[in-house]
Amino acid sequence: MHARRSTRRGESSERRGAPETGAPLSHPARAGPHVSPGRGVIARAASRLTAEERLAVLFLCPALLLMAAFIFYPVGTTIVTAFGATDKLGRVRGFVGWGNFRALGADPAFWQIFRRTFLWTALGVTVKTSAGLAMALLLNLPFRGRKVARMLTVIPWAIPYPISAIVWQWTYNSQFGLLNQFLKSTGLWPHPPAWLAEPRTAFAANMAVDIWIGLPFFALVFLAGLQAISPEYYEAAAIDGAGVGARFVSVTLPFLRPVIVMGSLLSVIWTFNDFSVPYIVTKGGPMNTTDILVTHMYKTAFQFLDFGPASAIAVITFVTLLVFSLLYARLYFREVA
Amino acid sequence: MQRKVALAAIAALCIGLLALPARGGGAASVRAVWMEYDARYNTFWQQLKKEFEAANPGVTVDNVVVPWNEGHDRLVTWIAGNQAPDIAIVGTRWIIEFNKMDVVQPADTLLPKAFIDKFIQPALEARINGRLYGVPVALSARSLYYRTDLVKTPPQTWQDLLAAAREAAKSPGVYGIGVSGKKFAELTEYVYYLYGNGGDFFVTNPDGSYGRCRVNDAAGVEALQFMVDLANKDKVTEPNVGENDRGTLQDLFLAGKLAMIETGPWFGGMIQERAKTMPFAVAPMPHNQGKPQHTLLVTDSIIVFKSAKNKDAVVKFLEYAYRDGPRLEFDKDFGMLPTEKSVARDAYFQTDFYRPFIQQLPTAKPWPLTADWSKVEDVMWDAVTAALLNTKSAKAALDDACKEIDTARGIK
Repeated sequence: MHARRSTRRGESSERRGAPETGAPLSHPARAGPHVSPGRGVIARAASRLTAEERLAVLFLCPALLLMAAFIFYPVGTTIVTAFGATDKLGRVRGFVGWGNFRALGADPAFWQIFRRTFLWTALGVTVKTSAGLAMALLLNLPFRGRKVARMLTVIPWAIPYPISAIVWQWTYNSQFGLLNQFLKSTGLWPHPPAWLAEPRTAFAANMAVDIWIGLPFFALVFLAGLQAISPEYYEAAAIDGAGVGARFVSVTLPFLRPVIVMGSLLSVIWTFNDFSVPYIVTKGGPMNTTDILVTHMYKTAFQFLDFGPASAIAVITFVTLLVFSLLYARLYFREVA
Repeated sequence: MQRKVALAAIAALCIGLLALPARGGGAASVRAVWMEYDARYNTFWQQLKKEFEAANPGVTVDNVVVPWNEGHDRLVTWIAGNQAPDIAIVGTRWIIEFNKMDVVQPADTLLPKAFIDKFIQPALEARINGRLYGVPVALSARSLYYRTDLVKTPPQTWQDLLAAAREAAKSPGVYGIGVSGKKFAELTEYVYYLYGNGGDFFVTNPDGSYGRCRVNDAAGVEALQFMVDLANKDKVTEPNVGENDRGTLQDLFLAGKLAMIETGPWFGGMIQERAKTMPFAVAPMPHNQGKPQHTLLVTDSIIVFKSAKNKDAVVKFLEYAYRDGPRLEFDKDFGMLPTEKSVARDAYFQTDFYRPFIQQLPTAKPWPLTADWSKVEDVMWDAVTAALLNTKSAKAALDDACKEIDTARGIK
């Protein structure tokens, strides 16, 4: 990775210099004496850039503006609001320091939701990763109808999340839902539970929907990873007498490792922040027992209009995921290097 | 040179994009948000918009239909983002909260007295400190729907209700009465039993404001205990009450699985549409023996936001929408009680179906108008569900709820 980067840099500096081409790429304004000191930092910075680089900055401008408007500004405002006392419209009317965070810390319901979010994420990512890998291995085998199977795999992921969640909400209904009807009529489970009526089954039902939606992503990413492994490695391993298990452990897993690491990092972020499933399937109920941090944050902000504490929850979520991502990225890049 | 021209073009494009106006100018427009009553809802407002625009050239109406369950939160999001519509239908109980945000234009500052005098008194619920903040658009009282083939005599008291439910539940595949334990846009069922037992949510202070939470008093606890017993002791409700809200209970009744359900006048139309042959009748909401009969009265109102740019256009549209014709059509389509005196006199409302609803209006009680109602309702839902799922006793659930509600409302 590092090597690739330095190569790019090398290419770039080579082109920048490009004396052998004789093309006057440098802007005349690059020379110091042409820049008046009064033109400020931006002008000085701009003067150090080549015309090509300035063009690049110009092209980046719209994206940077959008990012500033839709990412940096909201994140900054949320952080400020987390330390503020707000009115019902979320306008900061004063500062309370760590008050909102302290109030959350003293609320047992918050800690329950915090722990539940970790359980939700750990369970979801573990199942999606392992089942996704198994699915990818199956889809990588040569069999009749493989193309159709691969296409069908994508369906849950291709359907918009809210629609899937609404369909599952009905599927789980104990009176009209397909699931219990199927379980009863086949005799698999003569007296199935009312999935969304009790806290534990409601949590499991939500989890199942999240996994159902997220699984195809893993299957496809892992499948792409598997297809990138040259068959020669397997042939060589087979010549050395490696069995199926040994080939999986010694060839498949090491080559797939970067894909697994990156895929699971993305999944941790998505699962941790999965709003659609718990909010639509159970609305966090019964008795908020399927609420996770994002649904709790939404309710705190837009249902109860407590924007200060809601922003504090957002900051906690942000910091938790940031720390996790940094640790993960460190691990990832160390391995890749 | 070419490069300079390209740079200039890109810069001009960027500036042009940034300078695009947020909204097109031109005709006066009214951006209206309508909370959805049922599938025909969009058609009703679109038709009205078409007629209004034809009659008022130069004024346009932009309809946005939002499901009730999401309505409150969506409006808050729009208001917080300075994107409030010009007018919106809201649950009247939300008005006090929006008014606290200082975004609601008092209706009586815009509309003439003659316009406001058209409404029947119980409909004018949005009057706060002498000012009318919302124009009533829908009025309903809750009643008991029962299957006449399963319940011979309409129950008047809780005791009658239990006996009727026991009897009806003897029929195969039929549950006596519906009880919901899943959060919904309003605290269904518990409020009917609370009001029917002489209970209330808050102590009323001498100045008329709301004091401490009082659902954990004898009346409140007895009301919840009655619901819990219906579900868990007498087992005359549908099983798994925790998974049903008002919507799915209505579906159960329409599917022929419930003998009785407590809901509003719109349900009559739903039965006629989806279960034409079902024999049913409506009775006033049963109450506890020895306690006065009260049902829940609910109004929805149209509010005008202070930020509305074209208030004249808004008034023009409201005056057009509040003619007797569209109002009667609205009530018929969505099964609401009339809010205007002239519409109430129409023959359509002088029937056996509407009589129990209208008969209850004089003693019906509304939701308490408090700015913290969303929080109160959420806490109450958790208490009711906890008791129905036997996680807590009715008393403990309501004690905890009151503690949380008082804290949230800043009452020590």
